[in-house]
Amino acid sequence: MPRSWLLLLYKIPPKPTSRRVYIWRKLKRLGAVLLHDAVWVLPDTPRTREYFQWLAAEIIEMGGEAWLWESHPALSGPEANLVQQFIQQTEAVYRAILTALKKKDANLAALSRHYQQAKQEDYFQSPLGQHVREALTSARGDRP
Amino acid sequence: MKWVTWENVGVDRMACAWLIRRFIDPKAEFRFIPSGEKSLPKGAEPFDIPGVRLSHRRGHCTFHTLLREYELKDPLLHRIAQIVDEADVVQEVNVEPVAPGLDFLCRGLRAISADDMQAFERGALIYEALYAQLAAEAT
Repeated sequence: MPRSWLLLLYKIPPKPTSRRVYIWRKLKRLGAVLLHDAVWVLPDTPRTREYFQWLAAEIIEMGGEAWLWESHPALSGPEANLVQQFIQQTEAVYRAILTALKKKDANLAALSRHYQQAKQEDYFQSPLGQHVREALTSARGDRP
Repeated sequence: MKWVTWENVGVDRMACAWLIRRFIDPKAEFRFIPSGEKSLPKGAEPFDIPGVRLSHRRGHCTFHTLLREYELKDPLLHRIAQIVDEADVVQEVNVEPVAPGLDFLCRGLRAISADDMQAFERGALIYEALYAQLAAEAT
C-alpha cells in the first residue's frame, strides 16, 4: 500500500501581508514541507487532514484560493527524499535541544516544551526523539 | 431540533455537541454524515463542516462560533472555547495546559466507541468534568 500524502496549494490576496505571514507560520508550526516553493506537503493522517482542511477553509475565508489534494506518488524515488526532508526538519530541532541541554544553565522547562512541540511534528518517528526524551528526563535528575 | 456534522468526531465536535445539548437545545438530535460529504440533509442545522455558518471562523474553532452565534456569555464556556481552540487548531501561542491532552483523549475516546453517537455521549462526560473543574478553580 503506497503512502498517502496531502498536498495544499493556495493563493492569498497580496494585501494585507500579515495574512500571508499568518498562514505561513501555521504551516511551519504544523511541520509541513514546502516543495519547490509551490506545494505544501504533509503525510496523510486523520489529524493532518483535519488541520489542512480547516486551514484551507480559513484561506478561502480570507478571500484566497486553496486546493487540497490527497495523493499517492507514482514514482517512488522522490518520495524517499521527501520522507528524508521531514526527518531532517525534526532532527534539526532535536539536535538544537541536545546542544542547549549541554549548557550549564539550560532552561529545562523551555526545552521540554520545544521537545513536546517537535514530537507533534515528528511524523516519521525519528530515533533521535527518544534520545532527546532520555536526555531531558536525566537532566531532570531521574535515576535510571 | 436536528443537528448534523461529519462523522469521526474529535475534540471540537464533541465539545460542540455537549454545548448544544447542555446550553442551546436540550432536545437536540444528532446525525452524522461521511467526512467530505457536501450534500446536507434538509431540516438539520450543520456544524463544524467547512463553509457552513456554524464552523471555524477567523482561525477559531466551531465551539467559539457557537458561543458567538447563540450569545452565550458564561466565562467558563469561553475558557473551554480557548482550550478547544488550542487542542483543535494549529496555534503558535498556547496558554492552556489541558489542551494537548484533551485532543489526544477525544481521539482515543472515538476509537474505543462503537459509533459517533456513543463517542458523543461519552465525550459529554469529559466536558462536564472540564466545566466543573474550571468552575471549582474559579471560586
